[in-house]
Amino acid sequence: MTNLHSRRNFLNLVGSAGGSAAVYQMALALGLTPGRALGSPQLVRPLSGASRSVVLLGGGLSSLMSAYELERAGYQCTILEASHRIGGRNLTLRAGDLIDEVGNPRRCRFDDDPALYFNAGAARIPAHHHYLMHYCKELGVALEAFTNVDYNAWLQEDERFGGRPIRFRHFMADAKGFIAELSAKAIDANEFDAALSPEDVERILGFLKRYGDLDVNAIYRGSPRAGFKHPGALAPTPGMIDEGEFVERLDFSEILKSSFWHERLHFHEELDYSAPMMQPVDGMDKIVDGFARHIKSPILTHAQVKSIRLQESGVSVVYQHQGEHLQIQADFCMNCIPKHLLAGIDNNFPNEYRTALAAIHRGGPFKIGIQMGKRFWEDENIYGGISWSSQHIEQIWYPTHNIHGNKGVVLGAYSWGDNADFFTRLNPEQRFEAALHQGQKIHPNYRKYAESFVSIPWYRMNHHLGCTARWTEEASKRYFSYLQAPLAGRHFLMGDQLSHHAGWQEGAFSSAHHALVELQKLVAADLGSTT
Amino acid sequence: MAGMAATAGIASALMLTVTTASAHDYSIIPDQFVVCTTCHGVELKGNKSVDAPRLNGMEAWYVKMQLQAFKSGWRGTHPQDLTGMEMQPQAAVLSDKSIDAAAEFVSHVLPRTETLGHSIVGDSSRGERLYATCAACHGANGQGNEALKAPRLAGQNDWYLLRQLEKYRSGVRGHVPADTWGQQMRAVIKVLDSAADSTAAMADVVTYINTFSSNSS
Repeated sequence: MTNLHSRRNFLNLVGSAGGSAAVYQMALALGLTPGRALGSPQLVRPLSGASRSVVLLGGGLSSLMSAYELERAGYQCTILEASHRIGGRNLTLRAGDLIDEVGNPRRCRFDDDPALYFNAGAARIPAHHHYLMHYCKELGVALEAFTNVDYNAWLQEDERFGGRPIRFRHFMADAKGFIAELSAKAIDANEFDAALSPEDVERILGFLKRYGDLDVNAIYRGSPRAGFKHPGALAPTPGMIDEGEFVERLDFSEILKSSFWHERLHFHEELDYSAPMMQPVDGMDKIVDGFARHIKSPILTHAQVKSIRLQESGVSVVYQHQGEHLQIQADFCMNCIPKHLLAGIDNNFPNEYRTALAAIHRGGPFKIGIQMGKRFWEDENIYGGISWSSQHIEQIWYPTHNIHGNKGVVLGAYSWGDNADFFTRLNPEQRFEAALHQGQKIHPNYRKYAESFVSIPWYRMNHHLGCTARWTEEASKRYFSYLQAPLAGRHFLMGDQLSHHAGWQEGAFSSAHHALVELQKLVAADLGSTT
Repeated sequence: MAGMAATAGIASALMLTVTTASAHDYSIIPDQFVVCTTCHGVELKGNKSVDAPRLNGMEAWYVKMQLQAFKSGWRGTHPQDLTGMEMQPQAAVLSDKSIDAAAEFVSHVLPRTETLGHSIVGDSSRGERLYATCAACHGANGQGNEALKAPRLAGQNDWYLLRQLEKYRSGVRGHVPADTWGQQMRAVIKVLDSAADSTAAMADVVTYINTFSSNSS
């Protein structure tokens, strides 16, 4: 304690002499602050009278975070964004918004109602994504709980259980029950208890009984976890004033043959998908709005970059804006333009850099949002979460917000790989039709309530042409660190594409912070050599 | 925004300055055609990362013909034609007038050959022998021939040429009976397809095309 106290006193002295930045740097040196500056007051060391300029290419989250931090530290910043909006794949669509798909530009025809929005890109926030949580707090972006798993939602697989939908809880409880019963039998048969004490065997049996909700004889006879047979609306809720009748147990061999346990069944236990999860109140783009509210530097949209030239003393960027070409000179360039579009821009990057950029492939997930005239899923006791299907749609999400409201926007498909390609190849109306056709297998009246839709094939979205950069293991080994490092001490590639978490906002923030740290090293060395 | 803050005498610091760039460096892209450059790149130089070929230097008549081919579904509708399918909806929404305007626009973006790299390596001398058939329409130096609706090949991205040859061979391109010129090319590709190693034969031809000066016309 004495030691800590004395270090704090020392920091106070440093602060009175060198300001808050000095305190922070010193605290870092003393190990009092985590190096990753979780929630630190200022990520970038103030320039304190010196002058440095940064041009930020692309208006994605890594650029917004960088500009926000840099300008607070005294850097001159300008953000150039080619499309009509900033935020990149943080895209929330509401009534009248442009859906800028190459070849299929459309307007969103949802009702003009703040609750009727669709998060077409980023759509959920895990609590451990600490940059994101930090900026939501700092920028005043209100968050609410996001329900990512709903045990009352459905699993539907064409080839299994006659193609009929099964409640998630039903599958889960029965699968665990059967597995637990099998394990208990194995224990009883002395198959693997030689090394275990009798007490341990008892404990394992106890665990298995709890795990699978087995009876006293370690047999699975069904469980309220799987749900009761429902007597219909306005009848007493089963199990309340009677014993309730369990739903029929699923066929164990069908469970084994099902593909749902491959991934879906355990999905919500994965680090990025487990409770608690959050979403910004009124749409994911409230995060973008939060940055835009606080950033004072110019943010230009419809500003398309033509050329990036690294020079001895800085970076020169030529862009087209409002019918003319402009050239911007800056000390540094921070760049979150998708790597596959960067290849189409004039540059003087070394060949190895271009080769590295070309080694990263682009992914192309597909989403469709459907405005439903009635929140029919709530009549099925579903209030959020995901139904899973073996069809091209893969998933149906139900809105967590505006419970018992008038209408709602469901996600009618969130597909990857071949399933995404299936939708991408169709025109928007055909995609809508296919999503309704497939959704009907889960909700028979699905089509009846569907009023309007937005379809987003990320592979075809203008100024994106992809989502979730795909790194092969080899490309990652060869090029990840290389592309992370500043090029010629001037150019910093960033964004979720340069993280091991492509497709997540936290990947973009983490990459931006890495670039900011590298940039500061260069600035510190430079200032040190000139003063 | 530039030049106002104190510089504190740091010699290497650049103020953020914005100036008008020299007009001849790049073409001003009209708003309705900015979308072309998203895929086909600055100055329509082509972008292999998104499978979009070079368009600068392409003849206006050929641009027009191909946009119409996409629009009418001659190109970009075969289930295996994934890259063509990306272009097809873009052309489908264009009116005849817009197609004329697009062809006019493309033909005014000057060829920029200095950035064109070669990615196909084959046997150029064998390619030269095989090219004799191609030369009848596309010209001895790949300069193209409008009368025969044969486009210029010189200066086109080699990876794109190879892909088109493969598409003709598999019937992904030139499969619609109404597409007279596409059908003709589909018939001619049999010259290469008849070789035992037709894939190598196509690479050889493209390697030979790479030797043409892209300025030939």
